[in-house]
Amino acid sequence: MSSLSSSSSSSGSSGLSGSQVAAIAGGQVESEPAETSHAPRVSEFFREERFFLVLSVFIGVFAGLAVVCFRFAIEWCRIYLLGSGAQLSTIRLILTPTIAGLVIAILVIHFFPQARGSGVNQTKSALYIFNGYIPFKTAVGKFITSALAIGAGFSLGPEDPSLQIGACIASALGTRMKLSRERMRLLAPIGAAAGLAAAFNAPITAVLFVIEEVIGRWTAGILGSVVLSAISSVVVMRWFMGSESLFRIPPVELRHPSELVAYAVLGIIGGLFSVAFAGGLSVLRPRARHLARWTQYAQPAVAGLLIGVIGWLGAPQVMGAGYEYMDEAIHGRFTWQFLAILAGLKVIATLLSFVSGTPGGLFAPTLFIGAMLGAAVGGVEHALLPHLTASPATYALVGMGVLFAGFIRAPMTSVFMILEISGNYSIILPAVIANGAAYTISRALMPVAIFDILTRQDGLELPSMEEQREENVLRVEDAMRAPNVPVIEGDDTVEKALRTLEKAQQEIVLVRLKPSGWSSLSRAELREFIADNKAGQAVGSLLAFKQIPLLHPDMPLDMVLRYVDRWPVVPVVNRANLRKLDGIVTERDVLERYRDFSGE
Amino acid sequence: MTKTPELLLRIFPSSRREVATLVLLSGLAAACFTAVAGLSRIYYGQQEALAERWAGRGAADLKAGNFAAASTEFGTALLYSHDDFDSQLGLAKSLIGQGRIDEAYGYLVSLWSQKPENGTVNLELARIAAGRNDRQLALRYYHNAIYGIWMANPEASRRAARWELTKYLLSLRATANVQSELISLSADEGDDPAEQKNIGDYFLKVDDYQHALASYRISLRANERDVAALKGAGTAAFSMGNYVLAQRYLQQAVEAAPGDHDAETKLETASLALRMDPFRRQITQPQRDEAVRASFAAAGNRLQSCAAVASYPALLPATNPAGEPLGAAWKKLEPQIARGKGFHDADAVNQAMDLVFAIEREATSQCGAGTPADTALTLISKIHEGN
Repeated sequence: MSSLSSSSSSSGSSGLSGSQVAAIAGGQVESEPAETSHAPRVSEFFREERFFLVLSVFIGVFAGLAVVCFRFAIEWCRIYLLGSGAQLSTIRLILTPTIAGLVIAILVIHFFPQARGSGVNQTKSALYIFNGYIPFKTAVGKFITSALAIGAGFSLGPEDPSLQIGACIASALGTRMKLSRERMRLLAPIGAAAGLAAAFNAPITAVLFVIEEVIGRWTAGILGSVVLSAISSVVVMRWFMGSESLFRIPPVELRHPSELVAYAVLGIIGGLFSVAFAGGLSVLRPRARHLARWTQYAQPAVAGLLIGVIGWLGAPQVMGAGYEYMDEAIHGRFTWQFLAILAGLKVIATLLSFVSGTPGGLFAPTLFIGAMLGAAVGGVEHALLPHLTASPATYALVGMGVLFAGFIRAPMTSVFMILEISGNYSIILPAVIANGAAYTISRALMPVAIFDILTRQDGLELPSMEEQREENVLRVEDAMRAPNVPVIEGDDTVEKALRTLEKAQQEIVLVRLKPSGWSSLSRAELREFIADNKAGQAVGSLLAFKQIPLLHPDMPLDMVLRYVDRWPVVPVVNRANLRKLDGIVTERDVLERYRDFSGE
Repeated sequence: MTKTPELLLRIFPSSRREVATLVLLSGLAAACFTAVAGLSRIYYGQQEALAERWAGRGAADLKAGNFAAASTEFGTALLYSHDDFDSQLGLAKSLIGQGRIDEAYGYLVSLWSQKPENGTVNLELARIAAGRNDRQLALRYYHNAIYGIWMANPEASRRAARWELTKYLLSLRATANVQSELISLSADEGDDPAEQKNIGDYFLKVDDYQHALASYRISLRANERDVAALKGAGTAAFSMGNYVLAQRYLQQAVEAAPGDHDAETKLETASLALRMDPFRRQITQPQRDEAVRASFAAAGNRLQSCAAVASYPALLPATNPAGEPLGAAWKKLEPQIARGKGFHDADAVNQAMDLVFAIEREATSQCGAGTPADTALTLISKIHEGN
């Protein structure tokens, strides 16, 4: 494989960020004039960008192929371990998950320790701690152990492992190509989006989830690659597995606005359920991990045995990912009482599966619990208020989003996931109301999101995407103050400028240049010009290459820090009229604002 | 082969390494794609086999009436072939068999959205709509089923659907609609004697005697000694007032299967109607005289039998067309009839028969049904009074 490190490192040395690239592309160079020697570097940068986009497509293709194989493996495990029939024999129900649990424990402890967990946090760790590097062995381990676990009936899903497998593939490709550290960091989310998109068969949901939960910010520099990889993986997935969505959704419609109250109730109940589920996970997981080492071998087996007993007692629906039963709930094939029981038992089965350290995802169980809970709440509401017209499918669908918003705490993804799965925009309002209620309740009762809790339990300190999303960004206007320094025109002479400065009893004068641009002069500089016999010259002619970069009130405050070491007073100008001064900002203003903001 | 690297070089003009990387990645992707395609064939082959196996078991259990087992088996088949139409339909039918109508309805509606022209799905939906008393929807689905597409034995299936619709319409007492469906059925069935006999029975139920008689006649062409067809044809002819034909068919029916009280009564009534009707064409004068006398005597008997009941006096105020009380009028005319010989005068016949009809009408309203002779006279009066 060829090395791309030279080109990557050169771009790294040029120091061009995504936003600067965008600015260059838009012709908005506001700072120093570009040096002619930069031209080949920019062209090299664009070539590398283009190659990176093509590489994203390949990542999507490979991730899509891997996820297809993963789905095949899960299905084969299910057929050969549990049997091909819907009604499972008692022996298989009890023995299969137990023995599979034992095998999984041995594999995880001795061969694939990194395969433990859902995969989302591991991908975030790769991004923030290991510079995007994930050993390929992790993907192999995740593939084998998750397929075995889900196929044997553990209450886990294939989405999060698919996300991690996608990230692993991307990382492996990047490593083989010896990409720069900066590029390697970008690869993990690109692969993650591809893996998740293929698993969900929903590219928009995957892109949003990766942005909302893995990257944490909308970054134009990576968005194109993430979208490309997600789409190419979905294309591959659909090539092999058909274009049908995860669920067959009957027509959904909202006939009367008063029905929104029913969805709000569902959101409240779902929010409480999410807190109970996440609370159980956060309390039980560390306790199970702190048990004696030998119990680590037994924990998945015991969990498997208990899940088998749940199946044997009459609820085999809680075993495995359970998509077929979600589909049945959507089509109103269970009574609300049974749906409520299934939701409760699924929580128990998922807690057992995940807490025991069995590799597998939490997305599918979350959707299962949401679908059952939603359909159950819908059934109760229909029994109490028969005039409600919404079908079980609507409640089940909204319920999925509710749990996703309350448990995973990805509110935007939860809404778009429902839209993408149902393909019906009528559901957006119920989804927004219910998901919003669930998210608010979950946030209020459990301030830290479950993935952040799991990360901290693992002894890692990864950035909390939820906190980042809600973080207040300080802007220039927050530190800006009214101009109290004199302003002169570029046509004014040096002598006049000095007079103005002395009259105002200030050390700095701002110069408004023609046709646009700003600069500043200190008293010492003006005196120096006079000493050089330039007293009669226009200050503008002396400041042609000394323009201050333009700042506007809405820009992030940290932009100011780039200039305050060179310019003691930085003008903040109006976007509509670049000659109009909105205010000024100094280094002291910025530091005071940051100090106030951090509560010192 | 050489064009691809050149094209890539045009895209990435300054790096042969990148082109080589892309070519290598493309090759790797193609190899992986081929490998996964092989796996996919194995996977889908297995899924198809499992789907077929479970669907086969489901179909067998459905046929045997083991609906619970059938629904589980069809459900399992659908795990492996999500969109299999027959398995979904089988599942819906087995759910209906278990009385889980709402669940079945969900499946059927989903199937209908896939194939709105499918006859079986429409028929099942029609049955559910009929069961829910949704008349409009039931009729729509029934008609869809009749004009829909049937995979096996389409003509027979369409006829069966039409029969079901006919019976449903009959239960709604929509006789005009039933008649039109029966006419279509009669045309569809051709010369099938059993079906035509059945159609004839249904025509009788909606009082369409003309079509009923036609259907029975088609049936009798195949077997002229078919008792049920003979009786049906006789009944239809009797109801139409064609007593000659009725007598002929009913006579044969009674001879072929003695003891059928209904047929015998009808035969007797038809015979009496023929014997007592003086207005019949192409009868001799003595036959006409005899008919008048017999009718008059029967009316007299009716007056006497009615005297046994309390309401008899009420008969007295009733008058004949001349304004006399009926009893008095009968007594007044009785000597003339008794000695009468040859009612050549049509007025005399009319006068006698008007009195007879008036007595029968009044007696029927006050004393209920009388003897077969009274019934025959009532039928004759209906023919000749245009009722």
